[in-house]
Amino acid sequence: MTEPSVHLTINGRSMAIAGVPPEERLLDTLRWRLGLKGTKEGCRTGGCGACTVLRDDRPALSCLTLTHDAEGTSITTIEGLEGDPVGEKVRAAFDAAGALQCGYCTPGFVMALTGLLREGGSSIPLGELLEDLGGNLCRCTGYAAIVRAVRSAREALA
Amino acid sequence: MAPFAVVAPASPDEAIAELRAAGPGEAVVLAGGTDLLFDLEDSRVGPRRVVSLRRLPWRTLDWNGPSLTIGSTLPLRAIETDPEVRRRIPGLYAAVRAVGSVALRHQATLGGNLGRSAPASDLIPILLVLDAEVDLLGPSGERRIDVDRFVLGSRRTALAPGELIRSIRIPEARPSAYLWQRVRPFHDISHMAVAVAFSAARSAWRVAVSGFPPRPLLVPEAEEALGGPEPGPEAVARAADALAAHAPIVADRRASEAYRRQLVRPLLQRAVQAIRAGSGGR
Repeated sequence: MTEPSVHLTINGRSMAIAGVPPEERLLDTLRWRLGLKGTKEGCRTGGCGACTVLRDDRPALSCLTLTHDAEGTSITTIEGLEGDPVGEKVRAAFDAAGALQCGYCTPGFVMALTGLLREGGSSIPLGELLEDLGGNLCRCTGYAAIVRAVRSAREALA
Repeated sequence: MAPFAVVAPASPDEAIAELRAAGPGEAVVLAGGTDLLFDLEDSRVGPRRVVSLRRLPWRTLDWNGPSLTIGSTLPLRAIETDPEVRRRIPGLYAAVRAVGSVALRHQATLGGNLGRSAPASDLIPILLVLDAEVDLLGPSGERRIDVDRFVLGSRRTALAPGELIRSIRIPEARPSAYLWQRVRPFHDISHMAVAVAFSAARSAWRVAVSGFPPRPLLVPEAEEALGGPEPGPEAVARAADALAAHAPIVADRRASEAYRRQLVRPLLQRAVQAIRAGSGGR
């Protein structure tokens, strides 16, 4: 059975990707087919947030998305935040706060926070913003610096 | 993972035809995919066709006076970000926020949660206490069925072959709350949960429990013990006793029966307090 090509806009570039098996996850398409290895595989069960990307500007779990079912959508990965006004502020906040230890969870946190701030801006109460990041885990438990980064990213958008 | 084809019908009729054309077990329905993909990966189901509902026009949320109709494929995140849901049905807001993470809720749907009917569903108990109804569309037309009769057991529903969940109707916005206990506050499975709502139209309480097999259930003994619209501390205590005594609680690998029976009391008391305070839970 020949699979139809999948049409996606990846980091602003539209492309037709041929030969994607029906069971392939978006996470694997991004990492192994397109070489975008900033998106990480953590638990592969939607429980850790390491694979978070933006799908049509909203946070999505690329490990729980069939690539074929993402047909026609626009995907932004950590590599595509260059020039994004919210994304760049979030990245700068993580950088300034030193909000990473091993760095494995960082792209997921940056994408999740970028999605949340795009949705609600700086009007979201800090407590709710932190609660809404509860789907992202840091295996190094470096949360104190991450919380500082979240606070300063939110303030930078005010 | 066994090979299958992903198809995305453009209309409800095409989707139903797609399901009818498949033999038993040959096709599965894909909504958000956040639960189904586990089965596909584990090959617990080996479908030949995965029928995605992503192109169907069912991502809707419509208020009509006191009632709310939610399209089956609307992502859960759109329910929790509706200001009217948060204000008028706080228990639904709290229950939706109990599911997964924000990213997961941008994918997961109310129809998917009902159709998959997990024993520890966070959404079925709140739909039970809201007396919600499921609108189904299938080869022989439309029908409407109570959530209580739609959910048959663990991973079992009243869906007939070729039938799809089109929408979920909540007939009356109610003061309500949803309280849960779990290992990790976010993105975990509740091992005990209590949903409570008060119907002004019927002047009656509704109480449901979830978190253990086979399915979330209403507990009429606790509803009766709460009595009228303003239950005093004694009525609440009696309702907590009734819930602990009559809820058909069992043990599973996530919690013992004794622990769960202890938990239902404070969860019910806190749920009634939350309703008094006008909040949906935590």
